Amino acid sequence: MKKLLLSAAILPLGTAAMACEPDFTGVTLNVSTQNGPFVASALAMAGQAWEEKTCGEVNVVEFPFGELYPKFLTAMSQQTGDFDVIGFVPAWLPDFAPFLSTMPADLQAGTDWEDIHPVYRERLMVWDGEVKSATMDGDMHMLNLRADLMEDPDEMAAFEAEYGYPLGDPLTWAQYYDIAAHFHRPDEDLYGTAEAFRRGGQQFWYFFSHAASYTNNPNNPGSMFFDPETMDAQVNNPGWVRALEEYKKSLDFSPPGALNFGSGDVRPLYAGGTVAMNIDWADSGVLGATEGSIAGNVRTAMLPGSTEIWNHVTGDWDTFDEPVASPFLAFGGWQAGVPADSQNQEAAWDYVATLTSPEQSGIAIVTANTGVNPYRFSHYEDLDNWSNTFTPEEAASYLGAQRASLDAPNVALDLRLPGFFSYTEILEIELSKALAGEVTPQEALDTIAAEWDELTDEFGRETQLSAYRASVGLPPL
Amino acid sequence: MHQTAGRGDTIKHVFMAPAFLLVLTVTLFPLIYALVVSFQSIRLVPPLPPRFVGVDNYADILGSARFWGSMYTTATIVFISTAFQYVLGFALAIALHHNVAGARLYRVTFLLPMFLAPVCVALIARMIFHPFLGPVNDAIEGMGFDNVPFLTEPNLAIATLITIEVWQWTPFVTLLMLAGLQSLPEEVFEAAKVDDIPAWRRFWDITFPMLLPLSVAVIFIRLIEGFKVIDTVFVLTGGGPGTATETLTLFAYNEGFKKFNLGYTSALSFTFLIVVIIAGTLYLALAARLIKRYQ
Amino acid sequence: MAAPDTSIAVPAPAARNDTKRRFGARGWKRVGLVLAAVWFFFCVFPLYFVLVTAFKPPIAVSQGPTYIPWVDYEPTLQAFRDAASGLRGDFVGPVVSSVMVSLTATTLSVFLGTMAAYALVRFEFRIRLLSGVVFAVIAIGGFVVLTERYDWTVPYALLAVMLAALLVSNLVNRLPLPGPVLGNNDVTFWFVSQRIFPPIVAAFALFLLYAEIGRAGLTMLDSFGGLVVAYTAFGLPFAVWLMRDFLSTVPVEVEEAALVDDIGRFRIFFQIVLPMAVPGLIATSMVVLAFIWNEFLFALLLTSADWQTLPILIAGQNSSRGDEWWAISVAALIAIVPMVVVAGLLGRMMRSGLLAGSIK
Repeated sequence: MKKLLLSAAILPLGTAAMACEPDFTGVTLNVSTQNGPFVASALAMAGQAWEEKTCGEVNVVEFPFGELYPKFLTAMSQQTGDFDVIGFVPAWLPDFAPFLSTMPADLQAGTDWEDIHPVYRERLMVWDGEVKSATMDGDMHMLNLRADLMEDPDEMAAFEAEYGYPLGDPLTWAQYYDIAAHFHRPDEDLYGTAEAFRRGGQQFWYFFSHAASYTNNPNNPGSMFFDPETMDAQVNNPGWVRALEEYKKSLDFSPPGALNFGSGDVRPLYAGGTVAMNIDWADSGVLGATEGSIAGNVRTAMLPGSTEIWNHVTGDWDTFDEPVASPFLAFGGWQAGVPADSQNQEAAWDYVATLTSPEQSGIAIVTANTGVNPYRFSHYEDLDNWSNTFTPEEAASYLGAQRASLDAPNVALDLRLPGFFSYTEILEIELSKALAGEVTPQEALDTIAAEWDELTDEFGRETQLSAYRASVGLPPL
Repeated sequence: MHQTAGRGDTIKHVFMAPAFLLVLTVTLFPLIYALVVSFQSIRLVPPLPPRFVGVDNYADILGSARFWGSMYTTATIVFISTAFQYVLGFALAIALHHNVAGARLYRVTFLLPMFLAPVCVALIARMIFHPFLGPVNDAIEGMGFDNVPFLTEPNLAIATLITIEVWQWTPFVTLLMLAGLQSLPEEVFEAAKVDDIPAWRRFWDITFPMLLPLSVAVIFIRLIEGFKVIDTVFVLTGGGPGTATETLTLFAYNEGFKKFNLGYTSALSFTFLIVVIIAGTLYLALAARLIKRYQ
Repeated sequence: MAAPDTSIAVPAPAARNDTKRRFGARGWKRVGLVLAAVWFFFCVFPLYFVLVTAFKPPIAVSQGPTYIPWVDYEPTLQAFRDAASGLRGDFVGPVVSSVMVSLTATTLSVFLGTMAAYALVRFEFRIRLLSGVVFAVIAIGGFVVLTERYDWTVPYALLAVMLAALLVSNLVNRLPLPGPVLGNNDVTFWFVSQRIFPPIVAAFALFLLYAEIGRAGLTMLDSFGGLVVAYTAFGLPFAVWLMRDFLSTVPVEVEEAALVDDIGRFRIFFQIVLPMAVPGLIATSMVVLAFIWNEFLFALLLTSADWQTLPILIAGQNSSRGDEWWAISVAALIAIVPMVVVAGLLGRMMRSGLLAGSIK
């Protein structure tokens, strides 16, 4: 490859009328991610831009989302050199980090770098003190609502008469359930809410979104999943139990068969106007505004919070005067990484720089079906950019909710730990048992906690502890 | 070629060798690898150094309720669906063989389910059985009944998985039995017809015994392929609720391809291999007896 | 399992008195008609639903099921346009590689499998259990020693132990040793048993082997050759078993006459045996083709940029964006069209005059 590159550079190329800067003529990058259009189309768009700039070539290789993890892991661990850039998920970073190259220092400075929201730049892109990936998509769970219901004067009056406070974006989960109950009218084919509950349907992220409000205690940072001193699983403390009981309560306000809904089922229900609200990533809003029957009425809010948060140190509930918002950065957005076995490191990182540049990503976030959501300060500021997708009101609430979530002082980060799938597998099994009523929430969570402790011991408590502390931004013990 | 050398001793090896060597080459390394690894604790994530653990993996598996549960679920799905596939498929083959009205149309369509990738079938099934957006519940509600939770109630979910298996693989039986029927010699049936033997007896006394060897093969292939059912389960229920619909391959897939717990997965594969080889040997011995009795 | 004896004994008509009501041929025909009609609906409705869904706009899906285009919803070609534009992954590449790989591998495995099946039908194999054990011990033990002790790379160690084990066990087989002797049925079972092993670890191990061979200089991963070798080996067990049953119904007399005429075995095989086994050959080809066409796990690990096959792409339609059933339906249609063509061609051959006995 090097030789090819050299000879191509020496030859006076007739076609290369415009300068290739930097010149990657003859380099073909294999860029791999899940099947399009989401993410893959963003990589392809950036590929075209990069090709024009550098005269290299980009070949997007797509695999099913469910198989992406084993595919990347096997290829990188055997150093097949198949992939020059991979688009993947932050939760896999701990497992992938040993096989990824570190971001070149010159990319970790300057205005483009500072423009990335620090939650991504300083937390999710970092593993073990090194920047191993580049965020190319911002992601979090949000609450999607409908203006045609929430701003309807009759509904507002009826709601206030019944519950004694005005109808609006719910600040606590109790308010969320009030709204769900109010709009739950199965005989009119309108249901209160929709969340994902199916094992293998991204269910646990919905549960985490509930749990963050009761367990992400601002007085004990980083103690949501594990005790950051001992690595004891926290997943069966009263905060988690309360979250599971509430998560299960959502079933009562969901359309029939909700127990089998994955995140993919939740989206069209909202966009098609079957439910009054749902919890989802940013995708529901875009789907509702572009392809749904509720276009123009899409409203987005930060996830509800709580006035009570469990404190695992005192073993009691801490109460707060105002509801504390603990918006959960579920999933955390797609990232791009460069495998260490890639033969084209330099070109690969140059491509990543193009992909994540403010200009290129600014186009991607407003292009339909890229699946790319804002993650740079500049993304949140340019409302006009969104006029093709959203009405001004929709854009304001959509961007406002995302920005507010990231800026929330008590923002909750997703679980990132080596052996991620081992931890989440038992979680999914027991969760679905509890939701189906086979075991009580307490029993399910006790089983999960015991299994998590066992896994931690098997993988080595010390290494897991230091990995966990790093992932939640705590200094080493 | 010479027939002199040991009465075709060389020639038989020439016929056999390519197939034998190719299968051996492709399967030998995976077997050796899995066997060696099944006595180790080896994980790709988090990367821990491999450790020899003797028969610990096997002991874990045999003592694991999840393993036996998945074995039971898989066996239920496989045995019931194979029984349906065989009876239906054979009956359809006979109907087609006798050129039932519309046979021409059926011949074009009946093979199609078999050529759809299982994951594709699973996605289609999710659409058909969707509690809210699918036609089956639409029809049920249209007739005034309640919405049926096909995919969330364990027994119904298993029944649904069986239905899907039957839908996809009955054509397999039909195809092979039809070919079997077509290669039977005509004379036997002519003679039976002349003797005025009723159709039912003709089937039981002539057709069925003559196709018994083929039936044995067809059923066995469906059984061992059926044991690999994974895509439909993965897409439709994810194995849930809990592990109520988890099949063996899905269990192994999660252990092997998500957790990369390779030692455990290898031991799992070998346990399964041994169980099926024993069951298969018994089945073939019984079948051989049955065939002998009919001749 | 089929007895090596291929002569067909005509069973004696039942001696028992048939007390049941006589159910005439016409009655049975009616039963067959009903059965076929019911099955036809059961079989076709999902396919019909896929067909109409491919033309649905998203709104016709997200508000409950719709059935008839123009009546229930306004059909659109958008999903086909998306697929053609490569928005949901490149369809052309996977279709081409799937067709090439599965046709080649099917042809090879049915051909090689029929050869082996013929040998199993016409000749007797006697293999001492002990020599099998010797093979296993040398292969496994030798491999572990060579790779662990002497740091041989996997491909060379494998080749060495295979040759050594084959040679030694072959010699052992000639000795008059005690223990059970395995026959043709066991050889068949050996082939089939290769399909029993759950594919999870096997796929990973084959991936490792291919990666190692690649390091030794021969590209197997993501290559036509690598895929064809793997898939031919998968198709072979079934091809052997099924063809053995089909060949066993081919009367031996014709061949014996030919043998007397001193025609070589290969000419007998090609000119007499194969033509007489056409229905079986076609049915077996279709079955093997279906397995290879749909294979997912090995394709996932063994392919990448160049030779990705269709099932991978189809699985990818199960996207994180949710169930876009119009897109899934289009993918299903694309996957099934080449098979409709193949099945149509083979089905026509199956119906043609080559068929010997058809009871009417």
